[in-house]
Amino acid sequence: MDFRFTDEQELLVQSLTELLEREAPENAIAELDEKHEFPARPWKALADNGILALGIPEQYGGTPADILTQTLVCEILGKYAFPLGIIYSLGMITIRDILQFGSAEMRAEVLGGFVRGDPPIALGITEPQAGSDSAALKTSATYEGDNVIFNGQKMYCTLSGIARYIMLMTRDQNGENPYESISMWLLPTNTPGLSFHLLDKVGWWTVPTYEVFIDHACVPRKNLIGAENCGWQQLMANFEIERLALAAASLGAAEAAYEDASFYANQRVQFGQPIGSYQAIQHKITDMALKIENMKNLTYKVAWMMDNQMSVRVENALCKLYVAQAAFEVCDDAMQIFGGLGYMMDQRIQRLWRDVRLMRIGGGTDEIMYNIAGPQLLKKARK
Amino acid sequence: MNIIVCYKPTPDASDIVVRADGSISVERAEWILSPFDLQAVEAGMRLAEAAGGKVMALSVGPRQISNSKLKKDMLSRGPDELYLVVDDALAGADTAVTARVLTQAVRKMGSFDLILFGEGSADLYFQQVGLQVGELLCIPTLNAISKIDLEDGRLVVERSLEDEIEVLETSMPAALSVTTDIALPRLPSLKEILKASKKPVTEWTLTDIDVQGGTVKAHSEIVAVQAPPHVERKKVVLEGKPAEAVQSLVDALQKEGIL
Repeated sequence: MDFRFTDEQELLVQSLTELLEREAPENAIAELDEKHEFPARPWKALADNGILALGIPEQYGGTPADILTQTLVCEILGKYAFPLGIIYSLGMITIRDILQFGSAEMRAEVLGGFVRGDPPIALGITEPQAGSDSAALKTSATYEGDNVIFNGQKMYCTLSGIARYIMLMTRDQNGENPYESISMWLLPTNTPGLSFHLLDKVGWWTVPTYEVFIDHACVPRKNLIGAENCGWQQLMANFEIERLALAAASLGAAEAAYEDASFYANQRVQFGQPIGSYQAIQHKITDMALKIENMKNLTYKVAWMMDNQMSVRVENALCKLYVAQAAFEVCDDAMQIFGGLGYMMDQRIQRLWRDVRLMRIGGGTDEIMYNIAGPQLLKKARK
Repeated sequence: MNIIVCYKPTPDASDIVVRADGSISVERAEWILSPFDLQAVEAGMRLAEAAGGKVMALSVGPRQISNSKLKKDMLSRGPDELYLVVDDALAGADTAVTARVLTQAVRKMGSFDLILFGEGSADLYFQQVGLQVGELLCIPTLNAISKIDLEDGRLVVERSLEDEIEVLETSMPAALSVTTDIALPRLPSLKEILKASKKPVTEWTLTDIDVQGGTVKAHSEIVAVQAPPHVERKKVVLEGKPAEAVQSLVDALQKEGIL
C-alpha cells in the first residue's frame, strides 16, 4: 500500500496552510467567534485562491479535484480555521446535488456563485417534528399555475439567514411511501414569506443556524431540483460526501487540539518539572495521537473508496461515528491537560471543545450511524 | 522582457536537529524553496505580467534540487520554464562556485533582460551570489532593491539603505537582488499546481554548461556549524508603573553587563 500523497496534494496543502496563516490566523478566528460573525473575509480569500473551485467543473469556473484532495482541504481548514472547514463541508452536499440534479440555469448560477465566494446553499431538511426521522416532514409544496407555494417550518437550518438559497425539502402528504414523496427545491432566501430566527448555540458561533418560517413563499415551478418526489434519493446520493467532509474537518480540529496540548505539556512546569514528564500526561498524549492516526486512516480510506466508485455505506458510517467521538475525546483530553487554563475563553481549546461536540449530532447522529452500520455488518456475517 | 530568477532549495529550518554536541543535522530535513527567493519570483512575475515576456527559474546544486515536488513548487508560482544544473559535486558549494556555475548556465540559456535574486539564502544567508553573478556577467548589479519599475526601456529601482532609500536608474540587462518586502508572494491554486507539471524543465550537468567537475571545489571551508549553547531563561518579571519598570529594566541590563 502506498500511503503517500501526490506532489500536487502536498503542494495544495502547503499553499492552503500559508493562505490560512495570512487570511485566517487564530486571533482573527477567535475574534470572529467572540462576535458571532460569519468569516466573510477568509471565505472570500478561499474563493480568490481557487479553494472553493475544487471539485466543480471548469465550465463553471471550477478546478476538477478528486474526493481525497477535497478531504485534505477539509482537514486543513478544520485544523487552522475550524469554522471554514464546517462551512466548506456543509457546501459539499448541496453543491453536488445541484451539479448532479440541477438544471443548466441552476448550475451556472449556484456553482458559479460558490466559486466566486457566495456562502454555500443552506440545507432545509430538519423540522421541529422531523430530525433523524425525515419521513415526518410536513413542509408542503402546492402548485398554482407555473408557480409553487411553500408552507412550513425548518429547524437548525444552518447558514440560511446569510445564504442566497435554501435547498428546501418538502413532503407530499398524499404519497403512501414518505421516502417517495419528498421533493427538493431551490428557494431564494429573499423570497417574500420567509422569516429567519437566529438560534443561540453552544458552539459554531461563526456559522449561524436559524429556524425558518415559511408562509406562502412562492417561486416558479422550474425551481424544482431533479425529479418530483425523488428528493430523498437525490439527497442520499450525496449525503456520504457531507459525512466524510465533516469527519475530515473534525480530524483537523483534533490535530489542532493535540498540537496545543502537546506544546503546553512541554512548557507548563509543576512540581519543578514540565507536566509532560509525568506518565499521566504522556499516556494522554499517546492516546490522543493514536486516535488521530486512526481517524486519518478511516477518513482517507473512505475518500479513496469514493474516488474508486466503491460503496462506502458501512465504512463511512463507521468513519463518521468514530471520528466524531474520537475528535471530541481528543479535544476533551487536551482541555484536561491545560487544566484550568483550558476552560478560559481566551484559549483555542475551549472553542474546539465546544465546536467539535456538535459533530456527534450534525450530519447524522452517532445513533443513526450505528443504525446504518449495524444491520449491514450483520447482513454480511449471514452470507 | 526575459527575466531569469535564481533560487536555492534549502533544508527546511523546522526540520533541523541539534545534536547533543551542539552540531546541526539536516539529514532528515525536507528540502524547500528558500523563502527569500519567493519574493524575487513574485517581483519577476509582476514585471513580466506588466511588460510582457517570460520568467525562467534557475537553480544549481546537488541531486536534491531535482526533486519533482520542488520543481512543481517553483513552477506553480508562475515561471514559464525551469532550468537546473544538477551535480552532486555542487553539494556544499560556496558562493564563488555557485555564482560561476549560475553564470555559465545563464550564458547557455541565451538572451535575457534581467536576473533577479533573493536577499540571501535561507540556510547560509551570505547575500553574495547575486552580486558575484552580475559582476561575472559584466552587467549593472544592485542589491537591497525594494521596488522595480520599467520606464522607457530602463529600470527605475528603489534601493533600501539603512537611513534612506536611493532611487536609481539602470539599463538592461541587469542583475538585482531584492529585499523581502518587495512583493508578497502569490499562493498557487490547484490549477497552477496542476499546470506546473506541464511546463518545460531543462536539466543540465556541469559538463553540459562547460564547467569541469574538478573546478567546482569551494575556496572556503565550513569547519563547523554549531547551535548556540542553551541558556536558561532568567525569568525576571519587572512590575510597577511604566517609568519605574523602564528604570528597573535599565538597571537589570546594566547588572548583566549589556548596557
